[in-house]
Amino acid sequence: MTPGSQTSLREANRARIVSAVQQRGSLTQIELAGVTGLSPATISNIVKELSAAGVLATSQSVRNGRRALQVTLARNLGLVAGVRFGVRSLSVALADASMRVLAEQRMPLAADHRADVGMRRTALLVTEMIESVGASPDELLAVSVGVPVPVDPASGEVVTLGMMRGWDGVDVAALFQAELGVPVTVDNDATLAAIAEYRYGAAQGFDSLAYIRVSHGVGAGLVIGGHAVRGRAGVAGEIGHVSVDENGPVCRCGNRGCLEMLVGATSLLGMLPAGAGHLTLADLVTRATGGDPGCRRVVYDAGRHLGVALANLCNIVDPAIVVVGGQLVEVGDLLLEPLRTTLGQRVVATSRGPVDVVRSELGGSAGVRGALAVALDSARSAGVLGVVGS
Amino acid sequence: MTEPIEPGATPPRASGAPVVSLRGVSKHFGGVRALVDVDVDIHEHEVLAVVGDNGAGKSTLAGVLAGAHRPDAGQVLVDGSPVVLDSPAAARALGIATVFQELALVDDLDVVENLFLGHEVGSGVFLDEVEMERRTWQVLDQLAASVPSVREPVRALSGGQRQVIAVARALLGSPRVVVLDEPTASLGVRQTAEVLNLITRLRGRGHAVVLVSHQAGDLQAVADRILVLRLGRVHGTYTGETSYEDLLAAMTGAVLPGSGGR
Repeated sequence: MTPGSQTSLREANRARIVSAVQQRGSLTQIELAGVTGLSPATISNIVKELSAAGVLATSQSVRNGRRALQVTLARNLGLVAGVRFGVRSLSVALADASMRVLAEQRMPLAADHRADVGMRRTALLVTEMIESVGASPDELLAVSVGVPVPVDPASGEVVTLGMMRGWDGVDVAALFQAELGVPVTVDNDATLAAIAEYRYGAAQGFDSLAYIRVSHGVGAGLVIGGHAVRGRAGVAGEIGHVSVDENGPVCRCGNRGCLEMLVGATSLLGMLPAGAGHLTLADLVTRATGGDPGCRRVVYDAGRHLGVALANLCNIVDPAIVVVGGQLVEVGDLLLEPLRTTLGQRVVATSRGPVDVVRSELGGSAGVRGALAVALDSARSAGVLGVVGS
Repeated sequence: MTEPIEPGATPPRASGAPVVSLRGVSKHFGGVRALVDVDVDIHEHEVLAVVGDNGAGKSTLAGVLAGAHRPDAGQVLVDGSPVVLDSPAAARALGIATVFQELALVDDLDVVENLFLGHEVGSGVFLDEVEMERRTWQVLDQLAASVPSVREPVRALSGGQRQVIAVARALLGSPRVVVLDEPTASLGVRQTAEVLNLITRLRGRGHAVVLVSHQAGDLQAVADRILVLRLGRVHGTYTGETSYEDLLAAMTGAVLPGSGGR
């Protein structure tokens, strides 16, 4: 195809439309015109052509009181799977090309779960889930995996040392690829959650966001100008390992006094008085919400520490919105109020006031939804959605 | 009586007074000493995992709690008072419900019939089917269980769903302690996930859960405390966060009793 020719232009326009539909899940022809900058007539022609080719599907809907044609990717293009390994849990979801979630499964994991067993079981779980929705394994187009440690975005290899026992240097992408036989991408789970909140959650319509997950571990994901920031070796957004107290206790990452040592689940639970039994993060949330003074205090202090760290991040990146996710945010304003106050005190004062801090809309599903989105992105750029990648 | 945890070492924290305690419990089967001088405390709102090699005495321990085996020596205390668990009915009456590995479901009966088998609701010869079905849904909802129909014979259900039905049946008498014997053996990954989520929910509802298994990874995912049995004796009590290597070392006897417990 000669560049600049009529055919290549048309091909590029088709790719633009498919890419826009894929990233947003579903939008009307008018919105498509707005997003892609193409004329409504061009959009209408290409949508018609791609619908006939079985790439797009259209349905009648109503926008602003007028009839509109809703455009999605055709469901039967194939399936994508999203996997999220947490510190203590695993989530797997299966979606079709229109981003409709067909099956979702979570399970608790041991405190010290291992890469080899974990990945083998996850691959089995994906296969079982494909069977459960009545599909066949060859309908799977791509898989995206999130892990709670920095991972090299190019190779899909865990790059940190000692952060997660038994996961050092593990080539997550290669191992999953060997099990499932489809392209696999690997990311930090907070980055995936940030992508999900940007596309489908609390940060829709904002052009940049900082997402922070406060759970067993602490991590952040950044989306700036519509692009996820991963950094050189996938370490971008490792806010859990920002030093807050340089004489503090030594962290699993090898440094001292990291944010995670102050607000991670193990530290928070360790601060509670003995005699209350073995408590989990879920117990802390329930008790704090129920009014237990000790638990509320622990959550309050965590909010202040997070505010300090986020203020530093905001002074550098200045995101349009801050989204807080992870299990601890289930306590709501008990955590967010002290966080907002401390953040407000410490960011550079501007005439626009401090940045909005909101609670995650996707909750515990954010990571896995982001993984689904990235899996579909990679399927599109690999050309399996019926158009040449852009 | 020997404490399994070394003096000086802090035992894993446990909340309040135990619901059920075993003190010096021993059980012989002919010449085989299945349990020797076992001490266990079981607390509400806690998952106590019992792990051990084949023949370590795990299932015998579950049997003692279920009232299926009467100990030869030692005491069973419920809320601090000695009791005799001489039949499953006696254990149930004291608030201890057990789900055995073989589940004991009747394949040809539907979910409701299985749940109320032997203690049907109704007056005289008439059964109150509506009431039984209502209570079935109630208990299944509490477990957030996904069962397609309660009027389906249980043979049509998956392994994980059958496990849920067996647990639901155990929950009908509102027990305080739920004993699960090898609930994830012979289940697929997806069904195992469902069972582990179920255990977490039982704990969240305040039940004491005793989980007997030899799948260390699964128990570590949900356990608050892990009791390691070896050759019928308590080899140590560990926290749920104990590493796999330490647990394996205790199970195989590579460490001395009590040496690894925190």
